[in-house]
Amino acid sequence: MTEINIVKDAVKKHGRKRESLMPVLQEIVKQENYLSEERLMEIAKEFDLSSAEVYGVATFYSFLPVKPMGENVIKVCQTIVCDMKGKEAVLDAIKDKLNIVPGQTSADGKFSLMAVNCIGQCSNAPAMLVNDKPYINLTYENVVKIIDEYQS
Amino acid sequence: MPKVYIDGTSIEVENGTTILEACEKIGVEIPTLCYLKHLNPAGSCRLCLVEVKGSRLLQTACTTPCAEGMEVTTMNQNIYNARKLVLELLLANHDDGCFSCPNNGKCDFARYCMDYDIEKSPFPRNKEFPPVDESGEFFTYDASKCILCRRCVRTCAELQCNNTYTLKGRGHETMVGLPFNQLFKTSNCVSCGNCVSVCPTGALSTKSGKKYRDWEIKKTQTTCPYCGVGCQIELHTKGNKVVGVEPLDGPANNNLLCVKGKFAYEFINHKDRLTKPMMRKGGKGSPLEEVSWDEAMSHIAEKMLAIKAESGPDSLAGFASARVTNEANYIFMKMMRAAVGTNNVDHCARLCHASTVAGLATTLGSGAMTNSISEVVDSDVILVSGSNTTETHPVIGAKMRQALLRGAKLIVAEPREIDLAKQAEIFLQIRPGTNVAFFNGMMNVVIEEDLLDKEYVENRTEGFEELKTLISEYTPEKVAEICNINAEDLRKAARLYAKAEKASIFYSMGVTQHSTGTAGVMCTSNLALLCGKIGKYGCGVNPLRGQNNVQGACDVGCLPGDYTAYQKVVNPDARAKFEKAWGVSLPDKPGLTITETIGAIESGDIRCLYVMGENPMLSDPDINHVEHALKKCEFLVVQDIFLTETAELADVVLPAGSYAETDGTFTNTERRVQLVCKAIEPVGDSREDWDIINELMDRLGYKNNFSSSSDILDELAGTSPSYGGYSFERLKKEQPQWPCPNKDHPGTPVLHIGKFSRGERAIFKPSPYIPAAELPDEEYPFVLTTGRVLYQYHTRTMTGKSEGLTNIMGTSFIEINPTDAGKLGIANSDKVKVASRRGEVTVEAHVTDKVAEGILFMPFHYKDGPANKLTNNVIDPIAKIPEYKVCAARLEKF
Amino acid sequence: MEETRILLKNIGKINPVSSADYVAAGGYKGLKKAISNPEAIVDIMKDSGLRGRGGAGFPVGLKWSFTKGTPSDQKYIICNADEGEPGTNKDRILMSGDPHSLFEGMAIAGVAVGATKGFIYLRAEYPYLLPILNDAIKDAEAAGFIGKNILGSNLDFEIEIRSGAGAYICGDETALMESIEGKRGEPRYKPPFPGVSGLWGKPTIINNVETLCNVPQIIDKGAEWFRSIGTESCPGTKLFTLSGNINNPGVYEFPMGVNMRTLFKEVGGGCPGGKKLFAVQTGGASGAIINAEMLDMPMDIECCAKAGAVLGAGDLMFIDESINIIDVVENLIEFFVEESCGKCTPCREGNTRLLEFVHKFKDGTAREDDLERLIEIGSFMQVSSLCGLGQASPVPVLSAIKNFPDKFIVKSDERGQN
Repeated sequence: MTEINIVKDAVKKHGRKRESLMPVLQEIVKQENYLSEERLMEIAKEFDLSSAEVYGVATFYSFLPVKPMGENVIKVCQTIVCDMKGKEAVLDAIKDKLNIVPGQTSADGKFSLMAVNCIGQCSNAPAMLVNDKPYINLTYENVVKIIDEYQS
Repeated sequence: MPKVYIDGTSIEVENGTTILEACEKIGVEIPTLCYLKHLNPAGSCRLCLVEVKGSRLLQTACTTPCAEGMEVTTMNQNIYNARKLVLELLLANHDDGCFSCPNNGKCDFARYCMDYDIEKSPFPRNKEFPPVDESGEFFTYDASKCILCRRCVRTCAELQCNNTYTLKGRGHETMVGLPFNQLFKTSNCVSCGNCVSVCPTGALSTKSGKKYRDWEIKKTQTTCPYCGVGCQIELHTKGNKVVGVEPLDGPANNNLLCVKGKFAYEFINHKDRLTKPMMRKGGKGSPLEEVSWDEAMSHIAEKMLAIKAESGPDSLAGFASARVTNEANYIFMKMMRAAVGTNNVDHCARLCHASTVAGLATTLGSGAMTNSISEVVDSDVILVSGSNTTETHPVIGAKMRQALLRGAKLIVAEPREIDLAKQAEIFLQIRPGTNVAFFNGMMNVVIEEDLLDKEYVENRTEGFEELKTLISEYTPEKVAEICNINAEDLRKAARLYAKAEKASIFYSMGVTQHSTGTAGVMCTSNLALLCGKIGKYGCGVNPLRGQNNVQGACDVGCLPGDYTAYQKVVNPDARAKFEKAWGVSLPDKPGLTITETIGAIESGDIRCLYVMGENPMLSDPDINHVEHALKKCEFLVVQDIFLTETAELADVVLPAGSYAETDGTFTNTERRVQLVCKAIEPVGDSREDWDIINELMDRLGYKNNFSSSSDILDELAGTSPSYGGYSFERLKKEQPQWPCPNKDHPGTPVLHIGKFSRGERAIFKPSPYIPAAELPDEEYPFVLTTGRVLYQYHTRTMTGKSEGLTNIMGTSFIEINPTDAGKLGIANSDKVKVASRRGEVTVEAHVTDKVAEGILFMPFHYKDGPANKLTNNVIDPIAKIPEYKVCAARLEKF
Repeated sequence: MEETRILLKNIGKINPVSSADYVAAGGYKGLKKAISNPEAIVDIMKDSGLRGRGGAGFPVGLKWSFTKGTPSDQKYIICNADEGEPGTNKDRILMSGDPHSLFEGMAIAGVAVGATKGFIYLRAEYPYLLPILNDAIKDAEAAGFIGKNILGSNLDFEIEIRSGAGAYICGDETALMESIEGKRGEPRYKPPFPGVSGLWGKPTIINNVETLCNVPQIIDKGAEWFRSIGTESCPGTKLFTLSGNINNPGVYEFPMGVNMRTLFKEVGGGCPGGKKLFAVQTGGASGAIINAEMLDMPMDIECCAKAGAVLGAGDLMFIDESINIIDVVENLIEFFVEESCGKCTPCREGNTRLLEFVHKFKDGTAREDDLERLIEIGSFMQVSSLCGLGQASPVPVLSAIKNFPDKFIVKSDERGQN
């Protein structure tokens, strides 16, 4: 029962007009880290839209994943400045710590790694987001430390 | 009116005209892939690029509006190169198995590639595609042939409004498909096939289309034979076989079709078609044996003349058909009146919209849709009652949804939570049989809250005071109680309807098929008149006729009291006119209706019944009773395309040609007369309906001068004021709506503008609510109501021959609310026994909250589990229409 | 060289959430003036010569006049805070440090054209700005600067934040509107332009964060004051984001027309490790990559364009000699392949083809006709794509080919089959 409430609550909070679709999708991602088929169907029903429409919107946006994600989502910027300034070291650190590459989730389900496009920290590159928090001027060493923090 | 220059040619165009439209006007061809008339332009394929002077960029002709002084170049090396590159980029990821492609020969994409000298793309394929989806009954989807023009997606979303397709992903990964891992079979697809019709490649193709090539077929423009919308279609025939249907841009359908119109044509060349006349040579009880036309015809003529001689002309009766052409119906009713000498001619309109014809003729003067189908898209408020429009009139349903996309508001007053109810601003789930109370309640709010159009009521109506007195009793609270709805919702609905500038009412058999059907119909016009919504664009009272030509069959006089165009047989002037035209004297007494005829056969007053294209054995109420009567009928002739349940009882069976095998006209529900054109020769030894009757009349001693159905229409036009302007020649070019009194008259899209058909003023006919004749009680605790489903049609004589439709919805069922089902221990798909005072049937239960507690719903199409074994044959006293929509029933697990 | 801090004057100095702090620093004076004479605002904006700071440089006053002149029951002001252009993060600084200047700019726009509702479309990559902006909105509402009856007048102006969800294309104004409407962020064709038919088909002003942050001081101090800063064709200051191989990356404010060499040497401190500057990408990922020899360039729209560079949103990405330019171009095109919305053919299909050709250069298999074909497709995309993304995405590779011809080596004399 509580599961159904996630969608209903989000709809209560944001409304059921078409313009509220994105906020509701984002709300579900915030809580469950991804949009399951079940949730998308529930949302479609709430908005009186076809599941095709809702699915089409979700799959358009990089931050509305439709595949399961771990508890913490690491988004490492892969775009040019971060690429030039050491993105590989960041990914290496994560690989060494969690044994995952972009697109994967750690075996314990704690971390998912996404390589994403520019996150607007070009003057502090390389950078990444862990959930909603930005981490900048990264090096192999400080990435290791950051992950340690999330693991403890 | 901006003036633009296209390749140096100047042209003045309306504001908002696109470059593409302007080019079309002057005959400059621009290649397009994503563009499609009736869809919002997308500007996405970029094939229609042109140069506009002053712009650094190439512009898409399909989206760019003409501006004053604009100079457009439609072809030069730059443009050629750009378009060629668009095609090459698309071709790279387009499967090149053209030899096996069903679209070979009619592929827009291939043609353009040829135009731009492309044999193969210079780029390698760089995309992977999912396997072909062959799960649907009628068509397949091969993503590897998709060029992402999105016509299918947009047609499904903007026109059919079903939103089955999704665009998956973004960027280079973007793909047209279905959400998640759905297949067509498991999606919300309604198989209308409109996506297939618009696909410019073979990505979406009909399963049947794989069996022929475009250049092998003949294309014949004609009118769809299913519901009353009157969609214009193109029949594709190979030899004497119909192999496909494509939609045309007809005034009612604008390139749309439904699953039946698009795919259910198998019946035409079906092996079960009647191909030879048959007779019971050994009399009643002996088997039907094939005979020659001559033998069958002389036998019929002999018998009819003998019965007439013995018992008088009124001992014979004829059922005409809502399925056949106006011309066949006209000659049939002429046979009954002029050759036999009786007014005993009726048809199944009696069973669907007799109350409309009676009711609206009384209040307004004309018993037909007051407005046009296309107007619904522009309505601000649409009130639907007693019509499951998206299933029974799918293309009108789609147009209602188009209106909703544009911001219109919908009110649905229905016993079932039909698909439209989900999109309604206000859904009132009224108890079956309480329409009169509902409409009275609406009017009560309108009057109480002073929302009526006083000037209109004052100047254009009569009987308001009487109405006001009666309506005052129907307070929202009282009506809420009767209808089992919320009083506040009723108030909201009344306000919404009354305050709208353009508000239209659509209804169908949920209003008409009651013992108070005529009252129900008059209530719709009462409400519309009260709010000043008749005689205006986008408004009106719009009865949706269920069959392709039920409007026409009424119009051309297949009614016991009416000649053509509703000229009354009791009117001496009208009678004199027809006596003169036909050169015989005519009876002055109205004939018997269908329901009365069945009774008269039982009583022995009718000895001979001639049935053309009807199947009362499934369609009439209380069919046990009908069966008894027909078996008793001394001489029963059935003229049909299949050996129907009724034909099985006949003494003589005549094989008729289907709509694909005849010329003539159908009149659709919006009073539009449209041509039916012969695409193939009548199968086997069958003959066109009009031709059969024409010969029979000759044998009955009445000689016509008809050598084609065109001649019949000419005679019909000559005797019928509202049809005066029609001829085959004219209908090839335009299809005006009646009244169309002469060949220069443009037709009448909206009735009652300025003046009503009945005279200066329309009349209010206040009607009290009277409960249905049979209400639930302890013995029969449920209310059973009946209706149609999208995937079947009437008694399935045609749709039953479609394998696809049978696979989708091939058996009868009954809908029951989960609470009721729970109490009775019934689970979904369980077999249940349903019984009424008249009979019982066994069907599958569909447990669904579409129906409210205490209500059952059954479709009437099926021979297995025929709903009309249960229905009540009590009739409306005015229109004589049976109460199909309400009877008491009980049910138990089988 | 000293910065000219007009937009950045409050950054780090005030509590960003507090309207009281902002007022104490001279804020909301422009709005007060605007309310006293709404009719005059559009003309002042025209006179000021302010041009859009999001990249296209369209005259702001003119844009506003379209919306003002279109009668409608509802109009909207949208702040484009979808700062997605790689190489740019100036708007993030403004929103995190001085959000009230943005609200004030939006409210003035609303008052000027009769719009009562504003949206800030914030990119999903800045989730940490949401609390700041939301709190600041609440504060401004409580203080009567936005919401109903602003500053005691009979005018309303509400601001709502909408979040993006990870799509560069939503920086395109019409794609952004589709996204606010709850749809896939695919751009619309133009015309009609948003000023006349934008969000939900209503007249809509859409401006970049920096553009709107300029408005309060222009209204407060006058058009003449504004014109006294910057260049004739581009008055005012500009925020420049310096990134890449540079010692002092960051966001800096200078008058328009400041020399790129000054920004590189004096402000940025040159390349780290004493490496030599090799190239500069100007105007973000979709901007031109120029040769280090072209560094002497006054930074305004016209001068950049004349020199074959792009001012864009003021992004300068410095690339030193250790970097392979082909790798840069490859990364950029990969970005566009992923970020193309997929609606129009040239952009959806073209970018992947550009990438294929660049791969050929990378592994040394490119032939003469590959180079021709690459240029042909790129040029085709520039003139035939539906929106700015596809029109601009070939710019880096085409400019790189032009400015670094010796890096795009073909196997001589060999031509392909086609």
